[in-house]
Amino acid sequence: MRNREINNFLSRSILTTLLVITLSLSSSSITHAAVHTNNWAVLVCTSRFWFNYRHMANTLSLYRTVKRLGIPDERIILMLADDMACNARNKYPAQVFNNENHRLNLYGDNVEVDYRGYEVTVENFLRVLTGRHENAVPRSKRLLSDEGSHILLYMTGHGGDEFLKFQDSEELQSHDLADAVKQMKEKRRFKELLIMVDTCQAATLFSQLQSPGVLAIGSSMKGENSYSHHLDSDVGVSVVDRFTFYTLAFFERLNMYDNASLSSLFSSFNPNLLMSTAYYRTDLYQEQVEQVPVTNFFGSVMKTIHTDSAYRATSGKDNSRVKYDVTSSQSDDVDTRRMTSSDPGKQVDHPDIKLVKGGGCPHADWWNAIVEKFQGIKNGDMIVNYGLVGMLTLVAVSTWQSS
Amino acid sequence: MASTPETEGQKPKHRPIVRIGIFIIAHSFIVSVVCCTAGVLALLLLPVLAKKTYVSENALMPGSAIPMITDQDVSGANNFINELTSLNLKSQSLNIEIPRLIALHMANLGGEVSYHMFQNQPNKFHPLHFFTSTDTEANNVNQTCESYATNTVGIIRAPRGDGKESIVLVTPYNPVNLSPNETLSLGIAYSVFSLLTQVSWLAKDIIWLAADSQYGQYNSVAAWLKDYHTPSFGGFGKLHDDECHISNDIATEVSDTLRRAGTMAAALVIKVANTGEAGEQDALNIYAEASNGQMPNLDLINVVSYLAVHGQGLRVQVDKLVSLLDSTWLKFIGEVFETVGKIARSVNPQWKFGISVKEYVEGSATLVSSLYNQALGVPTGSHGAFRDYQVDAITMEISPKLFSNSKGRQTELFRGGRLVEGVIRSVNNLLEKFHQSFFLYLLTSSNKFVSVGVYMIAFLLLVAPLPVLAASLFSDTIKSYVESEKNEPFKSWRWLYPTKTVFLVHLWGAIVSLLPYFIYQIPDSQPTSRLLIWASLSLFILFVLGSFFRARSAEWALLKSVTVSSAFIGLCLMSVINFATAEIGALLLVPMCLMTKPWRVAGKVQSALNLVLVIIGFPGATFFVVKSVFGFENGSSLVEFWYWVESLWAWNSATYIYICMVHLPCWVLCIYILLHPC
Repeated sequence: MRNREINNFLSRSILTTLLVITLSLSSSSITHAAVHTNNWAVLVCTSRFWFNYRHMANTLSLYRTVKRLGIPDERIILMLADDMACNARNKYPAQVFNNENHRLNLYGDNVEVDYRGYEVTVENFLRVLTGRHENAVPRSKRLLSDEGSHILLYMTGHGGDEFLKFQDSEELQSHDLADAVKQMKEKRRFKELLIMVDTCQAATLFSQLQSPGVLAIGSSMKGENSYSHHLDSDVGVSVVDRFTFYTLAFFERLNMYDNASLSSLFSSFNPNLLMSTAYYRTDLYQEQVEQVPVTNFFGSVMKTIHTDSAYRATSGKDNSRVKYDVTSSQSDDVDTRRMTSSDPGKQVDHPDIKLVKGGGCPHADWWNAIVEKFQGIKNGDMIVNYGLVGMLTLVAVSTWQSS
Repeated sequence: MASTPETEGQKPKHRPIVRIGIFIIAHSFIVSVVCCTAGVLALLLLPVLAKKTYVSENALMPGSAIPMITDQDVSGANNFINELTSLNLKSQSLNIEIPRLIALHMANLGGEVSYHMFQNQPNKFHPLHFFTSTDTEANNVNQTCESYATNTVGIIRAPRGDGKESIVLVTPYNPVNLSPNETLSLGIAYSVFSLLTQVSWLAKDIIWLAADSQYGQYNSVAAWLKDYHTPSFGGFGKLHDDECHISNDIATEVSDTLRRAGTMAAALVIKVANTGEAGEQDALNIYAEASNGQMPNLDLINVVSYLAVHGQGLRVQVDKLVSLLDSTWLKFIGEVFETVGKIARSVNPQWKFGISVKEYVEGSATLVSSLYNQALGVPTGSHGAFRDYQVDAITMEISPKLFSNSKGRQTELFRGGRLVEGVIRSVNNLLEKFHQSFFLYLLTSSNKFVSVGVYMIAFLLLVAPLPVLAASLFSDTIKSYVESEKNEPFKSWRWLYPTKTVFLVHLWGAIVSLLPYFIYQIPDSQPTSRLLIWASLSLFILFVLGSFFRARSAEWALLKSVTVSSAFIGLCLMSVINFATAEIGALLLVPMCLMTKPWRVAGKVQSALNLVLVIIGFPGATFFVVKSVFGFENGSSLVEFWYWVESLWAWNSATYIYICMVHLPCWVLCIYILLHPC
């Protein structure tokens, strides 16, 4: 009798705990939005031909900027539709400049072009965004982002009302772009996406976007042209577009640790200098653009928190009491660095930091380990199914025991 | 069963388009008058409707790069000119020494040099080779070394280009009598060549052709182009005897085998005019017309004139008929258009089609010259040879104020060199053939043009009455037959008789066009006698044809109807081949065809008018009238007419075919109708 009762009690308690755990897991995977873990950039130059030199220079300038601000090469997908550097008409072989002063060669040693020439097609572009690749496509040519990624998508070329021309032969339409972004959202390929387009009538390209977490900047409104900034009379072509030029001018003043917000970038565009009206679409974006630093997209810098006490910072969910010390300079104490999202309520350990963190409270360690394990499990339904099967076997065992 | 007696009694109702047709045919007289007037008016309006030119191709980007030509290039060119001049004074066998000097300099600059030897091929009339190039019947009779002319060709290979395209510079010069202008044009080409051997931005190869023009500027270029485009096996040099080669001191550098670069993207013929005009600025004359009224792509002209005006401050002008500039009637029309434009602007400020009198007169003078040059079908320079190979080419003739002193020459070299360099750099940016802009246009000034869509309207209005009149005449005669109730079979086939007549006359025209070939077989004949033989033979054949096929005299109305139809078909066909010829032809032919009527039927006034029209309509008479009105050249001898016609067939001009096979038969038929015994 007693044995049976104990058995009964055991089975019930196991059942309830299992139930609770599965429930909490499934609920947490839904309510807990992912936190910012990494940054990606997709930089696309869509036009061929020598007279479109400036589009390649635009893209390479952006490439240089995001690299300078901390996005590593393996997280940048660079698509260049033509090779101006090796064009026979280029007076400076294997060099590309975005300014007539020729101080900065954009096509130096460390340029990794992922898609070049005729590879830059609408199909490949959509494949990169949605992640539907042929098996043979190497990892370096894929956008391996996850639900914690911030992605910068920069495109430049010739466009018109609701389209962007690729390679002088095909075009990307606004609903193609919107559909790709929607698929990305469904596949949890990004947390936040900034689309920046420098083309004529760029604003029209965003008209079909619906997915939350998308922020869009265009160089010109509907019916407006985007103009080139200046002509390099030595090379004999225009070398940079106005919108990109002033974007770059904004970023040249920044370094990796500056806190300039997106709104300050937006307000830096002067319609008189641009000769067009820059357009921002923020209605799909939940955060306040005044508080989001540009490096959320254009760099790979996340908030670093310097804490005196490792224990208090890691001791669970009530970290709202923890005083943050947001450092804007490089933290010298690597061991105690932790990364958090911009939302203080949702916190996760950075996997790299995990290993070096030591000497905490064992209870907290244990709890963190469980949390991590559960967050590692993505497939909630399967756990529920296993749980139900387990429950059935337990019930069967317990009834068999009791009988 | 279903139809009621009322509906059966009614005529079947035609579709609206048929009813419109019937209405127009019924009012053919008014339609003819309105359309012809509108056609002439539209032609007069063309200078007003001309649009500003613009560089249509994005890739060209003229003037986006600063010219890089340096003092070094220019001083080199200056030395080159001095050497040429001193050689010209000293040496005896200039036709060998000058090509050698040029080749030496080309090689020293770093170009690949080759000679191209060719012989003079006199223009002959080959009736069976019309529109095709005459094949190489090597004139082996007097093959001495003296009979060869030598083109010198220098090629710069684009350092990083794919070697599939090239740009050609042509400088015609006459080695036997080298003029200072020709040396200057050679110097300009030298300075550009000197620069281009050093630059790193070439995507197309550069060919400098120093064309030996002792047998004519066109012939030298045409001979070179022909050999360039003819695949030769075993080397070109085998054609000649060994002793004819220029013995070269520069040894292996110069080859006698024809060297080739890629397909030609564009060609520039550089010339320097003899005397500068009295204008303030230096001027640049552009010649573009090639054979049969073909024009180079408008973009090429745009690039040259843009760079000349904005880059070098030259005054660009195209050929115009100077004698028209102070014609009073043109000024009067201009004033009318100006006042109409002013009134229109006062009604609505948005309407801006006003044009000042001066602009109008200059525009018309240029337009007439453009029309004439295209209609003639004879190229206006050696650029015409390129058009035969679908290469866009123009002649740039720089006319400086004076360049007698060396400083003036230096600035001319700089200016010309910069201009040519700019054009080459712009064309170098090109990715495909010129295709973006117009090929069919008329220029009304160097920066204004009338496109095919506009000028076609004038022509169509002019020829539109012809089918209307033909249909109206035909339906009237058929109706009169039906009314007269003659019991003849095949009433509706009666048009076949006049058609036979018309066909015979056109056949006669074809024979007349072939006659000169046989006339040329008569040795040692004078132009006048040739012309007389031609005329008498033609008349003789006409009578023979007429007597052999004694056509039963058909009704004049049906004959006129068929004549008018054939004129319409001929004009429309010609408008496809050479618009300008068709336009001028329509101006002469349409009133003549519309008005003609047997003198017994017509009134006195109309008969007199018909007589005037018929006299003017004869090609020879037209030639003299046009010449005396516009003052093309002096003298009005028959010889000149013969030479004019000779030039037409020598240049394979379709205008010759048109005159012989459309215009002349229609003229004969009009006379036939005029003298018709009703």
